[in-house]
Amino acid sequence: MKVASRPRLILAAGLAAIVVAATAGAQAPGGKLVLYTSQPERDASQTVAAFKRVYPAVEVEVFRSGTSEVMAKLAAEFSGGASKADVLLLADAATMESLKKDGRLLAYPDAKVAGLDSDTYDADRTYFGSKLITTGIAVNTSAKSRPTSWADLARPEYKGQIAMPSPLYSGAAAIMLGTMTTRPDLGWAYFEKLKAADAVAVRGNGAVLTAVANGEKAYGVLVDFMAFNAKAKGSPIDFIFPAEGTPAVTEPVAILKTTQNAPAARAFVDFILSDEGQKLAVSMGYIPARASAGSPAWLPPGTKIKLMNTDIAKVVQSNSANLKRFADIFGN
Amino acid sequence: MPDIAGFRERAEEYSLLWALVLVVGVLSLLPLARLLIEGVAPNGQPSTAALSSVLSSPTTWIAAQHSLATALGGTVLAMVIGGSVALLVSLTDIRGRNAFVFCFVIPLMLAPQVVALAWLQLLGPSSTLLKMIGLAPPLGTRNPLYSPGGIILLLGIQYAPLVFLTLRAGLRTLPQELIEAGLAGGAKPLRVVRTIVLPLMTPPLVAGIALCFVSCLGNFGIPAFLGIPGNYLVLPTLIYQRLAGLGPGVLSEVAVLSMLVGFIAVLGILLQDVMLRRRDFRITTTSNAARPFELQRWRFGVEAVLWILSVVILVLPIVALVCTSLVSAAGLPLNSTTATLENYAFVLFEHDAARRAFRNSFGLATTAAVVIVLIAVPLAYFLVWRRSRVLRLISLVTELPYALPGVVLAISAILLFLKPLPLVRMSLYNTVWIILFCYLARFLALGLRPVVSGYHQLDRTLEEASQIAGARLLRRIRTIILPLVAPAAAAGALLIFLTAFNELTVSALLWSSGAETLGVVLFSFQQGGDSTYAAALATLTVVVSIALMLSTLLVRGLPRGVLPWRD
Repeated sequence: MKVASRPRLILAAGLAAIVVAATAGAQAPGGKLVLYTSQPERDASQTVAAFKRVYPAVEVEVFRSGTSEVMAKLAAEFSGGASKADVLLLADAATMESLKKDGRLLAYPDAKVAGLDSDTYDADRTYFGSKLITTGIAVNTSAKSRPTSWADLARPEYKGQIAMPSPLYSGAAAIMLGTMTTRPDLGWAYFEKLKAADAVAVRGNGAVLTAVANGEKAYGVLVDFMAFNAKAKGSPIDFIFPAEGTPAVTEPVAILKTTQNAPAARAFVDFILSDEGQKLAVSMGYIPARASAGSPAWLPPGTKIKLMNTDIAKVVQSNSANLKRFADIFGN
Repeated sequence: MPDIAGFRERAEEYSLLWALVLVVGVLSLLPLARLLIEGVAPNGQPSTAALSSVLSSPTTWIAAQHSLATALGGTVLAMVIGGSVALLVSLTDIRGRNAFVFCFVIPLMLAPQVVALAWLQLLGPSSTLLKMIGLAPPLGTRNPLYSPGGIILLLGIQYAPLVFLTLRAGLRTLPQELIEAGLAGGAKPLRVVRTIVLPLMTPPLVAGIALCFVSCLGNFGIPAFLGIPGNYLVLPTLIYQRLAGLGPGVLSEVAVLSMLVGFIAVLGILLQDVMLRRRDFRITTTSNAARPFELQRWRFGVEAVLWILSVVILVLPIVALVCTSLVSAAGLPLNSTTATLENYAFVLFEHDAARRAFRNSFGLATTAAVVIVLIAVPLAYFLVWRRSRVLRLISLVTELPYALPGVVLAISAILLFLKPLPLVRMSLYNTVWIILFCYLARFLALGLRPVVSGYHQLDRTLEEASQIAGARLLRRIRTIILPLVAPAAAAGALLIFLTAFNELTVSALLWSSGAETLGVVLFSFQQGGDSTYAAALATLTVVVSIALMLSTLLVRGLPRGVLPWRD
């Protein structure tokens, strides 16, 4: 008897699966979804293509630009009526936090956050980190000596050879500033030392990469994936995780309150956080938010990266004071 | 007896005049007015918070001072380079003048950020050139371009073609008789240039200078590359700082800062009007072109100087660009193992958006150039010859959309067009048309200034003769005036095309899927650190535009002097 019951069980399970699939099919999101993102262009198009393989009924429109440009467009749209965007995929949590404070974001309480580190998403579930982008030290391979820590960079032998992204123009760099200045081992004194060492602050990470790869500067404060992707293509560049730890941004995804297509927007968040979405991030050279998705080719499996803790709420709160102080130290 | 012919003439004039008022109002005034509202009444609530916080901040005034200094410096340099090259190319017997003209026009094609990057590498520790001659500064030396002087140098080089092209168009109308009279009177050529040519050329020179000043003021690319690392803040970079900062009220602050830029620009324009007031620059045209001055033993030296100048301002950045576009990854030296055409293959065949962007940018730039010239020719007629009060007042603002950083104009356009247009219920938003609107608004000044200066130099007798013969206004414009101002109009159209083809800051906010522009694609590559793709795309852009310019040599039947590179 017991033997006979087994096929029936399988049959029942099969039926249940079909029923689930059918109901899912009935609710399968469709229509148009508008995504605003500051991802690099290639990553943005790969993300959309992969999303559409899972949700073929959704038609995705993308606006991709620099973070400042995306934020300017959003600000103008908010002021002129309502934003056309449904979902955002932007560099940093501080930007999302300020949008949340203005009441622009829609919470998604049922987002599938199981398996995610609770640091990577908002407790109110309005935005969800999609990956970890750490900032470390990029080195031109022709450089004579190698720093091993942030503190090293401020030493006299590196004078005049350092480029960093300016927090005045880059939100991700502003988070780095907010994180590092609150640490007792670095603090504001560290940035004063960098200034004394003639470090130059350029407009963004792309400019840092170009300066270091071309040998214009020997060292750069840079995000991990850009350094490793350039290295993989053959650029003379290396990347060092500093001993004190590394600040990181999470490139969160969020749904706007004014979305015209909430089901598709939720599906997009689901996709980004899903195993498939996370593996896609890994294949593009990022550390995924979900550790189980693996690690990028440049990161030996099992490597433990020491992350600096960032109190996002505090960074947002102190941001304008931080920027002012930074501008004072670095001239303007 | 009612004068029916006179009535119809006046009716035509009035409708044309008011149509022009409407067009300029919609293009230039409307976006600015919408932005102004954002500055003083965000969300409909009147507030002076942004006004007082921006105007009381010392940073604002430092940036304004720096903006003024670099704009003036860049303008003077552009005037010296562009002005002397135009005089030498147009008035002397140097050989290969058409090739020189080409060399001095092309830099306008290169996006400012591309030029800045090429120069940084040229003068920095990684410079291949300086390494070759053993002069490369040691690693860690501060790049001398990270300074106000560097900004002024690159602005001057970037905008010298503006002065060059407007002045060259003006010199085309210089009649032989005046110069010969001077020479017959015993004056030396230099004296003739100083006392006859230059005074007569005041309108195009002033127009070129005014355009330069406004261009330098609104330029973001060069101070972003050189000023941010050099801690030298100007108003456009300050506006970007505000946009990157978090928090509410950003738009209002940006609007107030933009008003400041606009204020400085208007001051410059008023100064230009003062310089042109109550003087007469009319020349009887249609005589033969002046015979060139013979440089004799100086000729070789002058040619050498001009060639060195073109190498410095055109060849060096282009060589740097081509070298970068041929290596497989940024920072590799170019040699037989690293050389590859992969970047070109990627841009041409694998990247759909790049191909679409070529088509879009070409269409947008051509349409903008043609439409603006069609607006500028009748507009300048009323401005210069009819001295229409209402138009003069309203034309003060045509320069503002050009003076403001592109991102600000884009924000105004979003505020204006986010909702569907009233009455027609159509929306321009997220279409290529909103970009075209912005290009028309932004580049109207570029087309209008040269045409206005063309009118200043024209004698009105021909037009009056045809009026007496009974030709009505539109017909007179078509058959008499247009051929006479054609060189100036063509110079304007060319300025617009070359500038719009590579435009970035406006479309970076306004593009949508399918409506990419070349600038947007270039920016995407650069931002992602793909400088080799960016270099390949920029090189292709230059090649395409040179090919387009060369192809104009095949067009027959154009009036003399329309193309700056064809004698």
